[in-house]
Amino acid sequence: MAAETDVTAAGQPSPPLTEERSPLLSTLVYWGAHAWMLGYTVVMLMAFSVQFLQGEYPCPLCMLQRYAMILSTIGALWIIMQARRGELTTARYAQALGMGVLAAVTGTSVSMRQILLHILPDDQGYGSKVLGLHLYTWADITFAIVVLYVAIALMLTSKAVPTAPAIGSLGWKVSTGLGWLFLLVVAANVVAIIFLEGFAWVLPDDPNGYNLIEQLTGG
Amino acid sequence: MAGLFAVAILVYRGANRGLIIGLWLLAVLATIALFRYHVTSPLDLSF
Repeated sequence: MAAETDVTAAGQPSPPLTEERSPLLSTLVYWGAHAWMLGYTVVMLMAFSVQFLQGEYPCPLCMLQRYAMILSTIGALWIIMQARRGELTTARYAQALGMGVLAAVTGTSVSMRQILLHILPDDQGYGSKVLGLHLYTWADITFAIVVLYVAIALMLTSKAVPTAPAIGSLGWKVSTGLGWLFLLVVAANVVAIIFLEGFAWVLPDDPNGYNLIEQLTGG
Repeated sequence: MAGLFAVAILVYRGANRGLIIGLWLLAVLATIALFRYHVTSPLDLSF
C-alpha cells in the first residue's frame, strides 16, 4: 500500500508538504513584527504624554488596555527573538502569533466595554481626545489592526517565516534598539502603576492622583 | 504589570519555552480577572 502522501484521492501526485520560502516575504514579516512592537511602543509613549503632560490619570480600564497591548507585543517580541537566534519554526511562529491575537481579543473586550460606557448621546467620554477619538477608541482600532495583521501573517506562513538579518548589520542593530525601547516602556509602566496604586492591589475607579505619593506623605 | 515585565525579559533572554508560555497565560488570566473585578454593573443601554 502506497503512503498517503504519495498520491491524492484523484490519483495525482500530492504537492510537497513544505513550500519554498520567499526571502522577500520572510524579511517583510520579520520587520512586520517590529512594526507591531514599535507601533505599540509609540502608542504607550503617547499614553504617557497624555498622563504626564496633560495630567490625566489612567483609569483601571485604560491600564488593562495597556496590559493587553504589552501581552500582545510579547508575542511579536518572541517572534523577533526566536528569529534572531535561528530557532523560529513555522509552528513556533504560529504559536507566537496566536499569543498576539489572544491578547488583542482580550484588549478588544476591555476597550469595547469602555466605548459602550460612554456611547450614550451627550456623554463626553473619559479623558481628552486625540485626533478626534478617545484613547480607548484608538486602542480598539489598534487591536483590530493586530488581528488583521496576524490573519495575513498566518495566510503567508507557507511562504514566509521571519528571517533575521546578519548579526552586526544595521538591521540587527535597529532590531536590538527597538527591543530595548519596548522593554524600557514596559519598565516605565511598572513604575507608573506602582505610583498610581500605591499600597493597594487595584486602581481606584476614578483616579485623581498618585496614591503612593499620597500614602507616603500622608496627603 | 511587574509580571508582564518579567515575561518580556524572559522572552528577550531566551528562557525556557514552557516557562514563557505558562507565565504569559497566567498574565492573560490575571488581566481577565482584573477586568472582571472592575466590571461592576451591567451597561445601562436602553435606547
